Amino acid sequence: MNRLTSTHLIHAELRRLLATSLWKWGPLAAVFSGGALTILCVLVGPENFDPPMPGVDTAAGVRLVLSMIGLTVLAPALFGALAVTSEYRHRTIAYTFLFAPKRHRILGAKLAAYGIAGLVYGLIVALSAAAALYGGAAARGIEIGASPGAVAGILAGLAAAMTVYTVIGVGLGALIQNQTATLIALGAYLYMVEHTLAIIPGFNLVYPFLPGGATAALTESSLMSEAAVEVTGSATPLLPPLIGAAVLLAYALFASAAAVLAPMRRDVA
Amino acid sequence: MHPPHRLEIRGLTKRFGPVAAVTDVGFAVEPGRVTGFLGPNGSGKTTTLRMLLGLVEPDAGTALVNGLRYRELPDPARTVGAALEANNFHPGQTGRDHLRIYAAMIGSPDSRVDEVLSLTGIWDAAHRKTGGYSTGMRQRLNLATAMLGEPPVLVLDEPTNGLDPEGIAWLRRFLKEAAAEGRTVLVASHVLSEAAQLVDDVLVMHRGRLLAAAPLTELAAGTTLEDAFLNLTGALA
Ligand SMILES: Nc1ncnc2c1ncn2[C@@H]1O[C@H](COP(=O)(O)OP(=O)(O)OP(=O)(O)O)[C@@H](O)[C@H]1O
Ligand SMILES: [Mg+2]
Repeated sequence: MNRLTSTHLIHAELRRLLATSLWKWGPLAAVFSGGALTILCVLVGPENFDPPMPGVDTAAGVRLVLSMIGLTVLAPALFGALAVTSEYRHRTIAYTFLFAPKRHRILGAKLAAYGIAGLVYGLIVALSAAAALYGGAAARGIEIGASPGAVAGILAGLAAAMTVYTVIGVGLGALIQNQTATLIALGAYLYMVEHTLAIIPGFNLVYPFLPGGATAALTESSLMSEAAVEVTGSATPLLPPLIGAAVLLAYALFASAAAVLAPMRRDVA
Repeated sequence: MHPPHRLEIRGLTKRFGPVAAVTDVGFAVEPGRVTGFLGPNGSGKTTTLRMLLGLVEPDAGTALVNGLRYRELPDPARTVGAALEANNFHPGQTGRDHLRIYAAMIGSPDSRVDEVLSLTGIWDAAHRKTGGYSTGMRQRLNLATAMLGEPPVLVLDEPTNGLDPEGIAWLRRFLKEAAAEGRTVLVASHVLSEAAQLVDDVLVMHRGRLLAAAPLTELAAGTTLEDAFLNLTGALA
């Protein structure tokens, strides 16, 4: 009667997520990434950046400010990675596979639970960013240079991106298993490898198709592309927003497949 | 209650690089009896149990629970309660948190969590983080996890490790009762004095191979389990 159902497995994973204090840092990180970063940019004003950039009274300035949020995707990715790697680190994975020996099912449940958590994270980011954008502009007495619909579109894209990066974190964690190695790989990739690729001539052609480039496509703006112009003198055009979203979705599916297949027959010590 | 469950292991073999951990091991474990899985350190007991439980993939051979591989069981945690090494807890979770996660996984109500907490005598520590548990408390939480699904089969690896004398006596009574109820009980141990008081059947491992499989009365006829064991393992040393 009480066979293992997906609902039970997802319920258990959500309980696991809420059972440690880690999750309490999630909303805090989200408000920081969305609200704090945005209000800082709005109050300082991109026109006062060095070099000066378009202000938030222009559409380009709004996109630029919101694109900064795209640089904080490491947080949800780490969050997803910790979900799987802490099971290996503390060896609770043995119990987990004893209770659900069809291992792909438990990874599927983790993906679902952390997909939900990632979406909640993304929504907090989006809402706090909206509040910061409009609140900050009102405080400075500036008119926002983009329509509410356009802002909502960008923020929805960013919320989706946060979900995708959480799922990518789960996938990478399942593949690598070692906690420290996973965290280093994620940090190094997102903050070094990808940024370097963006400015290396030749490689910069693939940048739009990398996760970072696809995320930048959602905001149609990227500090990295701006930096690339400075270094190489030519900008690699980003993908259109919807194609960027599709590329990100493809990464999420790829990570999910990796997560589900990775633990298949590996021995659990 | 449950229909009786029989464990059947055939030709199990596993190498870890140069180490032949388990070589062509085969035996059956009958319901209604406590079976002791004995052998010196490193003789392959844990590896055999891990293969039985689908945690380690054998190089050859099969391990079946009522004719099915563990992974194919429709309701694994309600069929086999397994307690392996007792250090598999997230140190930041309380004992109750830990049990609630696994209870949710098999759709058991939280009242079952309370039941296994009382059963194993760690009710008082349930609200504390497992990182601060003593070895004996971890062992009890380990048993509590195994009991969540009220399984007809118990597979325990060194379950008395870290238990105080009272705990050991309790566990002995508990396992004998479980067997008397028709459950299948397989206990790995290298503490022969404890095993002698507990088991009905004996399996002796040595250097990855099964040396003997017999009822205790037969194996230790006219001598002690310890002497019989040392004879068996010493002869081939
Ligand atoms: N994951 C592993 N990698 C490499 N070698 C291993 C691994 N697991 C077990 N072994 C080796 O396999 C052999 C059997 O180990 P096992 O843990 O099964 O013995 P055991 O009978 O349970 O011993 P103990 O009484 O000490 O618990 C040992 O030589 C051990 O070192
Ligand atoms: Mg062992």
